[in-house]
Amino acid sequence: MNVLRTFLLYALLVICSVVVLFPIVYAFLISFMDGAEVLQGHIWPQKFTMKNYVAAFQKVPLFEYLFNSFIVSFIVMLGQLIISSLAAFAFVFLKFKGRDVLFFLCIATMLIPWEATMIPNFLTVQKLGWLNSYLGLTVPFFASAFGIFLLRQHFKTIPLELYEAAQVSGVGRFRFFWNIVLPLSRTSLITLGVYSFLTTWNMYLWPLLVTNNDRVRTVQIGLKQMQSQEISTEWGVVMAAVIVVILPTLLLLFVGQKHLQKGLMQGAIK
Amino acid sequence: MNAPLSVKSSPSVPVRRKRAVWTTLEGIVYLLPSLILFSIFLFYPMLKTVYLSFYATDHQGNPVQFVGIENFVYLLKDVNFLQSIKATLLFVCYTVPASVVLALCLALMANEKLKGIGLFRTFFSSTMGMSVAASSVIWMFMYNPSIGVINKVLSLFGISDVQWLLDPKIALISVSISTIWMNIGFTFLILLGGLQNIDPTLYESARIAGVSYWYQLRKVTLPLLSPTLFFVTTVSLIHSFQTFGQIDILTKGGPMDATNVIVYSIYKDAFINYNFGSASAQAVLLFFAILVVTFLQFKFGERKVHYQ
Amino acid sequence: MKKRVSALFLFILMTLTACSSQSDEATATPSENKDGKTEVIFWHAMSGDLETVLKEIVDEFNQSHPSIEVKPIFQGTYEEALTKFNTVAGTKDAPTIMQTFEVGTKYMIDSGKIQPVQKFIDEENYDTSQWEKNIVNYYTVNGKIYSMPFNSSTPVLIYNKDAFKEAGLDPEKPPMTYSELKEAAKKLTKKQGGQTTQYGFSILNYGWFFEEMLAVQGGLYVNNENGRNGNATKAVFNGEEGLRVFDLIRDMYKEGTFYNVGQNWDDMRAAFQSKKVAMYLDSSAGVKTIIDNAPFEVGVSYLPVPDGVERQGVIIGGASLWMAKDISEKQQKAAWEFMKYLSTPEVQAKWHVKTGYFAINPAAYDEEIVKTEWEKYPQLKVTVDQLKQTKPIPATQGALITVFPESRQKVVKAMESLYQGADPEEALDRATEETNRALEMANKK
Repeated sequence: MNVLRTFLLYALLVICSVVVLFPIVYAFLISFMDGAEVLQGHIWPQKFTMKNYVAAFQKVPLFEYLFNSFIVSFIVMLGQLIISSLAAFAFVFLKFKGRDVLFFLCIATMLIPWEATMIPNFLTVQKLGWLNSYLGLTVPFFASAFGIFLLRQHFKTIPLELYEAAQVSGVGRFRFFWNIVLPLSRTSLITLGVYSFLTTWNMYLWPLLVTNNDRVRTVQIGLKQMQSQEISTEWGVVMAAVIVVILPTLLLLFVGQKHLQKGLMQGAIK
Repeated sequence: MNAPLSVKSSPSVPVRRKRAVWTTLEGIVYLLPSLILFSIFLFYPMLKTVYLSFYATDHQGNPVQFVGIENFVYLLKDVNFLQSIKATLLFVCYTVPASVVLALCLALMANEKLKGIGLFRTFFSSTMGMSVAASSVIWMFMYNPSIGVINKVLSLFGISDVQWLLDPKIALISVSISTIWMNIGFTFLILLGGLQNIDPTLYESARIAGVSYWYQLRKVTLPLLSPTLFFVTTVSLIHSFQTFGQIDILTKGGPMDATNVIVYSIYKDAFINYNFGSASAQAVLLFFAILVVTFLQFKFGERKVHYQ
Repeated sequence: MKKRVSALFLFILMTLTACSSQSDEATATPSENKDGKTEVIFWHAMSGDLETVLKEIVDEFNQSHPSIEVKPIFQGTYEEALTKFNTVAGTKDAPTIMQTFEVGTKYMIDSGKIQPVQKFIDEENYDTSQWEKNIVNYYTVNGKIYSMPFNSSTPVLIYNKDAFKEAGLDPEKPPMTYSELKEAAKKLTKKQGGQTTQYGFSILNYGWFFEEMLAVQGGLYVNNENGRNGNATKAVFNGEEGLRVFDLIRDMYKEGTFYNVGQNWDDMRAAFQSKKVAMYLDSSAGVKTIIDNAPFEVGVSYLPVPDGVERQGVIIGGASLWMAKDISEKQQKAAWEFMKYLSTPEVQAKWHVKTGYFAINPAAYDEEIVKTEWEKYPQLKVTVDQLKQTKPIPATQGALITVFPESRQKVVKAMESLYQGADPEEALDRATEETNRALEMANKK
């Protein structure tokens, strides 16, 4: 009975993995085919060629784009961690008038469709002179309702007695925040970090709007740059680029996976 | 939410008031960066959008004439917009429950204590690392009626060509399937986290009592998982209403507007057709629609949530 | 601990400022950069292989013109690029040269943010008669040339020669009329069991092909001579010419000889390469890659016309280059220099051979590289011949309206509804009405 159950479970797990992973593997296989083979609809490449990867790196400055994506995602990650944790701290440990109203105002920002804010934001960034700089790519994303919400839920699990004790012994609020709250919330912080890194990495339209320069452009733009409109797209090259682009995020995910699942759940429970 | 600041010895009234002012000020300082950024990059553009929704605009997006609620009246009578509403609601119904249920099944399986389970967990969460752009390109390829792998496999079973993205009756479902796939990594991770947070002794006692797996699932696991489920559904709902990337790449809102969800319609009106007034009005309506749904979700959904 | 915080903040601050100062020089568009070169910022929508060729040409220009530096910058699709141009036009972030698709012509003129190149043509007495006549016709509005034609293409019929032989058709005699097309499609359609393994014909669900099928019969898209004699106020594409096109699609679809490929160029080509369809309409710019990748012999021919209708020719598609208005004279001069360079026979020959777009300067066809290329790909010549035989009438000049992208969406929807069994006349009338409403709204502004 137990053996049968285990066997069935493994079988199910394997089937599900195949279904979930299939699109990624498929893209991986296509990235090794030459143009004609792709268009004839093969699944397994007849002969593996690295040409597509070479072409992908030649066509657009992928290394530069990858580097920029990395910097931008990293800065947004840091910014979100700092700003969201400060806000979440205030929402949990400081009681003052209008706090709850402010909190719901923050949460409401999650409901605003991003497309509606794009053009006004572009004009703002332009007025600030932030076009073509990492500032324009990062600062608008420093405040995140999702991040505040997630961290607030975690901070709430920290016993209040700890806070009171600190107050009584004359520890300043900021020191309490820095020395006690943050270390206790390590998993949540890692979670938010990975989450914000991934979402920033995957942005396309905003980076395209605010940059004119290969020196600050990010990889998703490069991906779009390889797809043609009126003439044929070389799908092998595009898939090679797709693989290059998703590789860092997949790696990050695999490394951070354990922390991630622990942290994300903290946001979920009250 | 309980009062964090409890004053042990009760000081005199002026001192207490002074302290309250201080706390408020300090609170504001902590919140300031968020508030400033929200005001500049979210509230201000949203107000501008609301403002524009009452105007007719020129092709550059400048308001030229106050038209009152005409944009709204026109939209609500416009068959194309009504079709967008229908597409959006259908899309939400197709994607949210399916994503949550499928991710839950995966999470339940991945929560079993087995050798090598970590590998499977990694596999199931992998779609979270995929950008919408990259995923959509891959799915577009798989759906291709002449060379795509899906039809190749189906033809082995004698099912003739399915026009996945070209048949108005199927297109929305096809887009939904790829969306569910993209969502599953994130949803799975949260649910797995929730499952692991459940006190193992509860399972132990259930095992001793000798109840069946399904009974245990219904009476122990799901109630204890309900806060997590609630969170996941709320976030998925909001995301699903704002879906854009996969529609742009896979169908461009076609065929016959079958996949022209509101966010895509906003994009088309603002970025391709330059009808900013109409686009703004749609954005305002969408905002309130999400607001209402989220409110209802909190009001009725949270009732069923079982807090420990 | 504190130290670490401040170090962290310092690090962030430094990264941010370092990056912003580093890119500042690129942000501003001074008329001269630090080497004393006049800088020309060139926004384009050329992705994939096109971008590679474009960059090569720009590099050659920069090397041969030491006082000018052209910087090509990819800005996404034509739509995305236009949106961005729209928001920055008139500011220091605006480009010097902007590439816009043909249907954006009227929009650009009306925006008031561009400098018609006619000014430079007049100043220098630049000879535009050396350009391809049909291309000039398209971009001449009110007797002025507003923008410099650049990448131009027309639609052609592409067919599988091997499939023709197999079906007992003469591969050197592609169908020229609707009835020949229907006949050939019937023979080319192959069935296996209940499944169709090869369809006869297909058209992409894209407004451009409909416009072309209309123009080849001499049909107008909008009134006032396609908007060339004053603002267009009404769409007229639902006349008998338009209806013939829709009837053709409906009839063939009903007969099972027409395959619906959707609205994605690559899907359509994949269907042809994988022998799912034997004939289809494509852009002349795509011809070469198709020939290279197809595992069979490819034929190229003219657009078919309805029986008994005289062939009028095709409208030019593609994009042109626009010069910004609010920039220094020096920059404008440099931009003009670059535009002239692009239209020289040598550059055009290279552009034609490497991309498949037309040469706007027909002298390019006498260049050696074109001759060798045509020997290798005789099909390319067909596309040029079709363009040369086009009659200069308003129908083939192309419509001039601001709401073209929107109108195209409506036409696509009408085409799609045909496959759902809609009546061609009703579908077409509806698209016309919706275009009329868009025109009305636009004319109010």
